[in-house]
Amino acid sequence: MTDPILEVRNLSTHFFTDDGEVKAVRGVSFSVAPGETLGIVGESGCGKSVTAMSVLGLVQRPGKVVSGEIMFRGHDLLKLTREELRNIRGRDIAMIFQDPLSSLNPVLRVGYQIDEAMYAHDKIASNAVERRGIDLLKQVRVSDAERRIKDFPHQFSGGMRQRAMIAMGLSNKPDLLIADEPTTALDVTVQAQILELLRDLNEQTGAAIILITHNLGVVAGLCKRVLVMYAGEIVEEGTVEQIFESPQHPYTWSLLRSVPRIDANRGHRLLSIEGLPPDLIDLPQGCKFNPRCPFRVERCFTESPPIEQVAPAQHAACWVTMERAYAEMGAGTITDTSPGAASGVHPAGRSLPPAEVPAAIAEPVSD
Amino acid sequence: MATVTTPILEEYAGGTIARAQVGLWRDGFRRLRRNRLALAALIYLTVLVLVAIIAIFWTPYNPATILPNTLTFLGPSAGHPLGTDDLGRDLLSRMMQGAQISLIVGVGTSAIVLTVGVVVGLIAGYFRGWIDNVISVFINIFYGIPGILVAIILYLILGHGLGNIMIAISATAWMDMARLVRGQAFSIREREYIEAARASGARSGKILFGHILPNSLGPIIVQATFVIPIAILTEAFLSYLGLGIPSPLASWGSIASEGYAALPLEPYMMLWPAVALSLTLLAFNFLGDGLRDAFDPRQRR
Amino acid sequence: MPTRGTLIYIAQRLLLIVFTLLAVSFLVFITVHSLPGSAFESERVHGKALQLVLHQYGLDRPILVQYWSFLTSAIQGNLGVSFQIRGLPITPLVMRELSVSAELGGTALLITIGIGTTFGVLAAMRQNTWVDYTLTSIAVVGYSVPSFVLAGLGELIFAYWLPTVTNGAIQYPANWTGTYGTLVELSLPAIILGFYTSGQVTRITRAAMLEVLQQDYIRTARAKGLKTRVVTVRHALRNALIPVISILGPLVISIITGSVIIENIFGIPGLGKEFVESILGADYNVTVAVFTVYALLIGIANLIVDLLYTVVDPRIRY
Ligand SMILES: Nc1ncnc2c1ncn2[C@@H]1O[C@H](COP(=O)(O)OP(=O)(O)OP(=O)(O)O)[C@@H](O)[C@H]1O
Ligand code: SF4
Ligand SMILES: [Mg+2]
Repeated sequence: MTDPILEVRNLSTHFFTDDGEVKAVRGVSFSVAPGETLGIVGESGCGKSVTAMSVLGLVQRPGKVVSGEIMFRGHDLLKLTREELRNIRGRDIAMIFQDPLSSLNPVLRVGYQIDEAMYAHDKIASNAVERRGIDLLKQVRVSDAERRIKDFPHQFSGGMRQRAMIAMGLSNKPDLLIADEPTTALDVTVQAQILELLRDLNEQTGAAIILITHNLGVVAGLCKRVLVMYAGEIVEEGTVEQIFESPQHPYTWSLLRSVPRIDANRGHRLLSIEGLPPDLIDLPQGCKFNPRCPFRVERCFTESPPIEQVAPAQHAACWVTMERAYAEMGAGTITDTSPGAASGVHPAGRSLPPAEVPAAIAEPVSD
Repeated sequence: MATVTTPILEEYAGGTIARAQVGLWRDGFRRLRRNRLALAALIYLTVLVLVAIIAIFWTPYNPATILPNTLTFLGPSAGHPLGTDDLGRDLLSRMMQGAQISLIVGVGTSAIVLTVGVVVGLIAGYFRGWIDNVISVFINIFYGIPGILVAIILYLILGHGLGNIMIAISATAWMDMARLVRGQAFSIREREYIEAARASGARSGKILFGHILPNSLGPIIVQATFVIPIAILTEAFLSYLGLGIPSPLASWGSIASEGYAALPLEPYMMLWPAVALSLTLLAFNFLGDGLRDAFDPRQRR
Repeated sequence: MPTRGTLIYIAQRLLLIVFTLLAVSFLVFITVHSLPGSAFESERVHGKALQLVLHQYGLDRPILVQYWSFLTSAIQGNLGVSFQIRGLPITPLVMRELSVSAELGGTALLITIGIGTTFGVLAAMRQNTWVDYTLTSIAVVGYSVPSFVLAGLGELIFAYWLPTVTNGAIQYPANWTGTYGTLVELSLPAIILGFYTSGQVTRITRAAMLEVLQQDYIRTARAKGLKTRVVTVRHALRNALIPVISILGPLVISIITGSVIIENIFGIPGLGKEFVESILGADYNVTVAVFTVYALLIGIANLIVDLLYTVVDPRIRY
């Protein structure tokens, strides 16, 4: 295997808020090989975006990367000066964001915003920038690109805006493209087109892609390898076949069980399983999934499971793992997936079943 | 009542609001306590109010009397801590009276603005329709007219007097309040819990004063606080021009005006009203800012 | 190249201005003419002579008739004649004073926007540091310290204590030379006036910047590897200016209010001084004229602001 272009080691990012220290990302490690497509999945709030933003040094106050190394082409991005890091952003590593409307500046023309990314770096000769801007827009299949490039974002449709974002991301021919939920705000047909576009670009330009999503279907369509995050940690990692066919972490397993319900809903719904993710300020002892896990055992309440190899190229952080859950707890046939249901472990005084979401408190007056 | 009562619904709506309200106020006071500038302002204003109250019963000298055997433009001394003015009147006594007048005008105007603005705003925002149209057109036409021009004209028509000066300043200032309350009423009326209250047969009076008013109280208080410095400043300026509080009553504005005339001779006479006015206006503005940060959710960040 | 919609919008707004002017001038006219005493009664004119004078100026006619004749001649640009300086045509007088006030107000507006946006941006960029606290405090001081206090202080310093520095150039109350004051004469009142309103601009710019800096497109701009300065100015400030423009209308009103005060303090022969003098001298034609001119100014300022929106924010089209 070739050397990875990005290797994240033991990354932790916390937010120091008035209410306490939000430990949004804790000890995350992974790597990306050149030209690879890696998916990161997990429920809303599990730290996917914060991980991606940490890589590019985009985390802002009150957030801070508290530990770790982010090795890119042999350099630790966390040790670079602001100027050196700025030179990598948008040039070697590009990032595109979830909501293409709010992610484009409403008062600047689309073409300007694409060209600006090229002028900011010296990779594209400045006399070629405008030409390339139009070509890029064509490449991402915006019709009538010569004319549309002079439009403002509000004159674009949702899909076109996301295409423009992708064009912007590709403008400097980056080695790595981080796409944070690039299809979430779009409807299903447009979603499929955007995914196809990303797949083509990956094949044509050889850029590695990190695709962040909570839609497992999207991962299956584009990625070779998948990371599953839960409450700020990576709980499972494997090839897309392994993750889908033999998930070893109970959380991954639960996510997959919830997939049909999501597809029925135009693929827009967040992945959701029973209960709520833990409070990132006041985390539970032991495995962070224990308040929701049907297969938990006593040990899960005291010790955090390390991430360990469970199969060639597959790793999971679980004391039980699904293999054992199938063999010993009848995971293949259970219908009750409430906490502790399969293992029968209900420690007194600890980990009560997650309370129901309180009725939304009326937010006082706002315009 | 013919409607089937839905106590649960009302209970739910009322209870939720009540809980949210308690939380809102508690949070607000906590934020206010943490705001040192606002606290300092509050302390200063408390002292000022005390001085004004004392001045009702006692001042070192009669503020209006030209003291016999006293020199004019006497610098600060033991007998006259702030000195005497161009006519030989005791400046400390006059400043104390001035504090009284400033506070009365400020708070009084704010009270008028509060009453008129809230009532008009609620009526427009709640009943809508032609009433709202009439009110809105009126406000839109006169909204842009500088209040000071209107105040000058009105004050001349109404004649001298503390009450009239407050009315003259309120004449334009209520419109801001009415706009605010109207907007609040509009948005809150849309809210579900009003519907819930309506469904259970609550009368419009109860909706207005039981739901809309309590929910807009934060912004209303903030706005009312900001009216006070505007009124004080306007009064001071009118008195400065000789259009305000009639002599021999002392207003900070008129003392400043007399001091201004004497500026090349005796700068200190201008100094006292200048400092007092600046500090007082500053205090009200800081307090208003503090209240806004604490209680106005629209502005919170 | 304004679109059809824009032209229609402008036409509507002009109509609104006309309507406002009618309403305002009518109310002010009725009000001031109901004031006890007129410029003539204050003089020693009695009985028949007074009747004669009143007749000469048309003041013995019913009030509505008087308003109607004011209106018809005002439309032709004739605002009537002064009572105080008997028979002096008001239009050229007001135009001259308007130019003085505009010079003062315009300079103050530039100062306000300059100081206010700079302070606001700096405060937002350094949120919750001493820079932020200092600048926002200065803003509050700006609109808390009465302008006549600043004026007194300024005059004390420049006219009395440092006359050598200014070479005796400033003499207040200014003997304003001709229509245009010298730069030096203008600067002190304009700075005081501008400082007073700059607090509002600082506050709104700061709030708008903080809001904008949270936006996703700022993150995008940073992710592109743009320099901080470019992100701040080109991406953040341009968007933050939109709410700033929204207070330009109220700002013009504040400046007019302030200029009434400042002109009277410094003795600057502008509209504000004229307004107070006409009221005190019961010269009601002048009062109505000045008031109407102010209303017109504000109407036009608001229209310009609305059109400015379309320049800064491409999403807004009328
Ligand atoms: N500015 C911030 N201040 C405080 N906490 C934050 C901040 N930004 C993110 N967090 C916390 O970090 C956690 C992870 O957020 P992140 O945006 O990475 O989630 P995500 O996995 O991308 O979710 P989604 O799918 O909704 O985008 C969240 O629980 C959130 O509470
Ligand atoms: S079995 Fe234990 S370690 Fe594994 S996911 Fe459940 S709680 Fe965590
Ligand atoms: Mg996210």
